[in-house]
Amino acid sequence: MTRPWRRAAPLALAALGLAALAAGCGSTPGRTPAGQRPALTQLSAATSLAAPDGTWAAIPMGTTGPNLFWQLFLLPAADGSWSLRTPPDIATNGAVILAWQGGSGPDSGTLVTGIRPSLYLSFSPVTTTGNGGRSWTTLPPAAGLADVPDALAAGPGGQLAALSQDHSVSTASTAPGSTGWVTLTSQRALAATPAGRGCALAALTAVAYTPAGIPLLGATCDRAGTAGIFSYTDGTWRPTGPALPAELAGQHIQVLRLTRTGSTDTALLEAGSGSSATLLSAWASDGARHWTLSPALRLGGTQPVSASFGGSGATAVVLSGGHGQILAGPTASWQPLPALPAGRAVALALPGGGATDALAADGSTLTVWKLTASPARWIRAQVIKVPIQYGSSS
Amino acid sequence: MPGMNNGLNLNDPTVVAAFRAALQHQGLVALLIFAALSIAWASLRVYRPGAASGEVPASGRGATGEPTGHQVLRIGFGLLWLLDGILQAQPSMAVGLPSQVIEPSAASSPAWVQHVVNWAGTTWSYHPIQAGAAAVWIQAGLGLWLLAAPRGTLSRLAGLASLGWGLVVWVFGESFGGIFAPGLTWLFGAPGAALVYCVAGALLALPERWWRTPRLGRAMLAGLGLFLVGMAVLQAWPGRGFWQGTSSGRPGTLAGMIQSMAQTPQPGSIAGLVSGFGAFARHDGFAVNLVAVIALAGIGVAFLVARPAVLRPATAAFVVLCVADWVLIQDFGFFGGLGTDPNSMIPMALLAVAGYRAVTGVSPAAAPAADPALADPSGPGNPAEVLAGGAAGRWREGLRPAALYRSLTAATFGTLTSLVAVGIIVLGAVPMAAAQATPAASTILAEAVSGAATPFDTPAPGFTLTDQHGRTVSLSGLRGKVVLLTFLDPVCVTDCPLIAQEFRQAGQLLGGASDQVELVAIDLNPLYSEISYTQAFDQQERLASVPDWLYLTSSPARLRQVYAGYGVASQTLPGGAMLGHNDVAFVIDASGHLREELDMDPGPGTAAVKSSFAAELADAASQILHTS
Repeated sequence: MTRPWRRAAPLALAALGLAALAAGCGSTPGRTPAGQRPALTQLSAATSLAAPDGTWAAIPMGTTGPNLFWQLFLLPAADGSWSLRTPPDIATNGAVILAWQGGSGPDSGTLVTGIRPSLYLSFSPVTTTGNGGRSWTTLPPAAGLADVPDALAAGPGGQLAALSQDHSVSTASTAPGSTGWVTLTSQRALAATPAGRGCALAALTAVAYTPAGIPLLGATCDRAGTAGIFSYTDGTWRPTGPALPAELAGQHIQVLRLTRTGSTDTALLEAGSGSSATLLSAWASDGARHWTLSPALRLGGTQPVSASFGGSGATAVVLSGGHGQILAGPTASWQPLPALPAGRAVALALPGGGATDALAADGSTLTVWKLTASPARWIRAQVIKVPIQYGSSS
Repeated sequence: MPGMNNGLNLNDPTVVAAFRAALQHQGLVALLIFAALSIAWASLRVYRPGAASGEVPASGRGATGEPTGHQVLRIGFGLLWLLDGILQAQPSMAVGLPSQVIEPSAASSPAWVQHVVNWAGTTWSYHPIQAGAAAVWIQAGLGLWLLAAPRGTLSRLAGLASLGWGLVVWVFGESFGGIFAPGLTWLFGAPGAALVYCVAGALLALPERWWRTPRLGRAMLAGLGLFLVGMAVLQAWPGRGFWQGTSSGRPGTLAGMIQSMAQTPQPGSIAGLVSGFGAFARHDGFAVNLVAVIALAGIGVAFLVARPAVLRPATAAFVVLCVADWVLIQDFGFFGGLGTDPNSMIPMALLAVAGYRAVTGVSPAAAPAADPALADPSGPGNPAEVLAGGAAGRWREGLRPAALYRSLTAATFGTLTSLVAVGIIVLGAVPMAAAQATPAASTILAEAVSGAATPFDTPAPGFTLTDQHGRTVSLSGLRGKVVLLTFLDPVCVTDCPLIAQEFRQAGQLLGGASDQVELVAIDLNPLYSEISYTQAFDQQERLASVPDWLYLTSSPARLRQVYAGYGVASQTLPGGAMLGHNDVAFVIDASGHLREELDMDPGPGTAAVKSSFAAELADAASQILHTS
């Protein structure tokens, strides 16, 4: 070996080492995720509710991000066609959350809407209409509503309850002179109560009222076989969820929806996860003390996407893959619907009288499809062009 | 990386015009400095004929004694800095450099690198004119300084300055040359062109005696050789994707990089050449990488061995490799309107040639004495000595008027040019430093987004409304204070929250003067006119604790009267859109006169633009305060 080579060799080795070190820079070591609890199912806020003045439906339209605008439609009880009734002067990019306030008689209630936060808006404006959306009145704004379809509830006596993004629950009143929203509880506080500990509270998912005006909370419990529904009476939270059949004893139960339709509280529950998950409805008409359970619907690998409620506890569920199921009421069984019409978003509506509508939104167009009885198929009944103001929230 | 992008169009006409104007003004000042110094120098030399007739050496004499390796490095990098300065003057640079150059370069680096780089990018995006001009003048000044100072202390100082600025560019402009990011490869510029400038600067800063022996040249080539061998190993390392022309149907690492370069706006023939090589690398990726690995390793070993017989062909091969890489892979580096330099290959080649010349071009016996005016003399009046310092006593001596006079008359043209170059660097750096010292962004951003303010001098329409606390407030009750007035929708999801933040920042910028200014907003959404909504908005925008903030509302009818008085329009839009309205602000003086209307449309709403609008509002209020 000549002298220059002797000098070069260690340097070359050093370069080799440095390069090997550099080759490792920036690479990401593979990691295997540790075992996790199955992901919680989150339903879209696309929904409809049957009220004495008609059927209200909220559905996202437009495109995405700041060009996605939630729209509110009404099918008046005395009319056969849907019309646009989106609250004015407010950007609805975040979602429109619906709650019905009042009794079950005609002209005896109002619709309350809460607007979910979007872009720079971090709180939730609340408005109400008592004339089918022809005019709107503002109510005190709530803290930013949670991203669940039942983040806002209205009681028959003018009470309001809101589930916020910060996992707190607040109440307010629509009565004149109301002082605004007051915190009722929070997920952490409820989890620390005997009721919360009993179900190993994992997440709050819904607020509702009983027909008597008692606040209800829906939740997901970590304790298997427990349906997390709580009522607030005499200053205490009490578990009031339905007792589930033995075959669901080992399953995690999620309360996907909890709402009041007339004199009935209706809950939509999901038991288990994955291909063995099942869906069932529960109804209570006595202040959520006694519940009637529907048969369990095997989801068979599909995911619930959204749910809607009609009068008398009727439930309609949109499932992934364009599937739909309908449950006519407490004594009925699940009935599959024909393949749902195509659309970027689809919501089902149960206007009453056994009718089922599918609202399919695509861009600025809403197509209303009606289900015929025999043969069961969707017939296009109406097309509504919504004058969406693209770019107005950009 | 927040703050990097001020959201303006790259060729925003307002910013481009202001950038050009700043360059012209500063260029004029530079010319004046040059002219003044030249006249003074020439006059003194005429006044002291002895100085002109040979007492003082001519500038060329010094250059003749300069070691050739040093000369190659100095002239080469001087020209490169000049070119870089010219490239920095491209119109898109003022707006585009942070978001289009700095941010992408840091995108794949670790978070701490992004954090460091973000500071510089944000600073630039807040003051695009001053930063852009500073980059132009500093780099042009460095280039001129290197070209003008062949030897002596001034030359070494130029090297040090080059090293310092190169380091700034390498860290903040090139994100450490991407050495902490994956995909590091010499072919694409690792470890960063600016680091090569730093090395060159450091070498030029060495004492001249180091250049008078072949040892320095050998060390340079050995260092370069070591680096190239390392890069060859890195290039050959399996699993980094360089051996594959394609991967899962997509271009491999190298081919993908080349194809992305070919997308740069540039003459079609060059794009075609680069694109063609990209296609070749895609089909024959293994062969291309093999050639690169062998060439790097072979040249690197040759430099390490440093045997005279192999140095010449190795240097020539390296220059050819660099030029080929520069053309076919790095795509020249300066196209597209945002090219800041010709990338790393030309500096690399210069470094190798300088090293080679430092080994082969040295004849110590023939080395002449350095130019007395430039090369470390001991005499007190030497300008280099005055600049660079030395013993404290010599400094004091050198600063005496007589000594300064002697210095100026004794200075060569090169010395004079070096001084002008230093002046140019200072000329660029001072406005940027001054801008950086202010907490707000330049108002040029707001002007670019919304245009200039409209002056008025009419009585402001009066109003009596209710503030967020339920108190009655009238405009007449605010007499004695300057009022910054705007109209905000409390449930707005875009502009109004941004404008509110601008008002809050304006209050902060006003500092002690803020108690003479009232920040006032009027509810612009009659449907959401309850106090609970103005309060919710205040809480959302953290305005509740701002002492001089008023958010006024009233009945829809009364609000509409105020809108009409100020010419503010709003419109209900269907389909779930928020209320449509114009974004304006008014400046009302202490006597209740409307003095200015500002278009407050916040445009992209970036941090820089918000800060700029806040500065514009604060400036408007300050001007009214000072003139009333």
